[in-house]
Amino acid sequence: MSESKFETISSLVDNYRATDHESEQAIDGMLKDEHLSTTWQHYHLIGDVIRDEIPPALQLDLSAQIADALRDEPTIFAPNRVVAKASNTFKAKVVQLIKPLGQLAIAASAAGLMIVGVQQNVADNNEIITPNHIVQTKPLAGFANPVSFNYQQLVKPQKQAVLEQRIEQQHRFQALLSDHQQQIKLSAKKINKRSNVEPQSASQSDKKLIN
Amino acid sequence: MKLFLFKSPIIQVFLICSLSIFTSFSALSATANSDSDSNIAKLSFERLSNALRDLNFSTSFVVVKNNQAEPYHWLHGIIENTESGNQVELEILALLNGPRRDILRIDNTVSYIEPEYAPYSIMSSYISGPIPAVFGQDISMLDNNYHFVSVGKSRVLGRIAQLIRIVPKDTHRFGYWVWLDQQSGLLLKLAIITRKGQLLEQIQFTHLEITNVLSEHLKQLQATDLPKIINLETKQQDIELAWKVNWLPNGFKQIKANRHRINTSKQAVEFMLFNDGLVDISVYVNPSNEKQRAIEFANDGATLVLNQVINNVEVSVVGKIPLASAKKIVNSIRFIRDLDTP
Repeated sequence: MSESKFETISSLVDNYRATDHESEQAIDGMLKDEHLSTTWQHYHLIGDVIRDEIPPALQLDLSAQIADALRDEPTIFAPNRVVAKASNTFKAKVVQLIKPLGQLAIAASAAGLMIVGVQQNVADNNEIITPNHIVQTKPLAGFANPVSFNYQQLVKPQKQAVLEQRIEQQHRFQALLSDHQQQIKLSAKKINKRSNVEPQSASQSDKKLIN
Repeated sequence: MKLFLFKSPIIQVFLICSLSIFTSFSALSATANSDSDSNIAKLSFERLSNALRDLNFSTSFVVVKNNQAEPYHWLHGIIENTESGNQVELEILALLNGPRRDILRIDNTVSYIEPEYAPYSIMSSYISGPIPAVFGQDISMLDNNYHFVSVGKSRVLGRIAQLIRIVPKDTHRFGYWVWLDQQSGLLLKLAIITRKGQLLEQIQFTHLEITNVLSEHLKQLQATDLPKIINLETKQQDIELAWKVNWLPNGFKQIKANRHRINTSKQAVEFMLFNDGLVDISVYVNPSNEKQRAIEFANDGATLVLNQVINNVEVSVVGKIPLASAKKIVNSIRFIRDLDTP
């Protein structure tokens, strides 16, 4: 009996179906009988090995692992629904507006790295360092090298020093630029709407200049 | 060939803008710099200022500089304060690429949400962003140092636009070309241009929507608790520095003088900020380990960063000014006493 069951399983694995009734029975049997379902797995594995389709690291029983992981997952119960006050919902939205800051630090540091990377690529162009370069405030998106680009590692120490100097210079420029923008923001004043406004706090600064 | 394909939209943008500048040039030569032109220009700016304060608008623009494009979303709206019956302005300016940089404003509170700092608010009635703050204020504060010339009409963002040039009266600063919407009075395009007509930086609006009702984002902002206001009065009292700047272009007034550390490099600096109503100039002075370093500079669009070390003192100038002006400013710095060593 079991012999014929194995045969049915084998033909099922090979996608040969006897009759619908018979295969249904076999599948039902497999679902109930652990021994039969292991056989089903083994047949598949054998087929995979013969067809040379096995992954380099063999995970024999993925389904069991997934089931384990699911069992260990803490059950989430629906939180007690307190009727949220209007202000609470609004706060939540604010958080939505303001919250994604945690990711920012990471994003910012990634951007910083990219700037250095771009500069290193650019710096290998045998060009003389002229001061009139553009500050790379943002990494250039899609900076693509030609396919045949050979990056030569024959950077002489001297050249390396020049490169470092250049990167340092870019950092200096960027630091100044962002501080300049920051200081402008912090110097913003409250002004009266549509009145004749003096250029911000002029009278006070005049006194300072005379001193 | 395929490798260069991705660049072509940028080149196209440049071609288009250079073309438009060219056409406006020819328009300029036809118009005389008369008083009536100046009056039209002034009235247009007054209209812009009112529109920026009174309208509910939702708009997008792109800042184009150094072959890069920075896209922004800009929203503005007004609500009535239920208690006082006054109008309250709401404003959001968000940079759409890269790490999030949002600026929120509810009336006189402006909050900056940036990756470098924890969110903070300051008391201010305008946002410091790519659009000059003076556009929302009284433009006549620029009268002493700039001419206003109404040049003619052209088509920008599918609308009829009035081109107005803000022309500096001296050679020490840049000109601003401003395209304003005939219908609403709002800004459609802005270009910063050298005296020789070279385009340095421009802001092109890509979308403009004026509505009667407040947009959803602004409704959210309305109910938002903004970050804590930092008190700048005590933090940034002007102090006597060891040096002074003896030359600045006419009309630049000192906004502040302080000692602080530059956030990224942690370098302690002595600092002065100047402003002529439209342009800001920062001057930094700090002791350096190096004895001498030749003058170095770089451009970020129209913004010049210049840096030099003379006799162990590092001097830097940052601002939207021509190189010659920055050099002249650096050379005019005189020391009253030795720098304090940090």
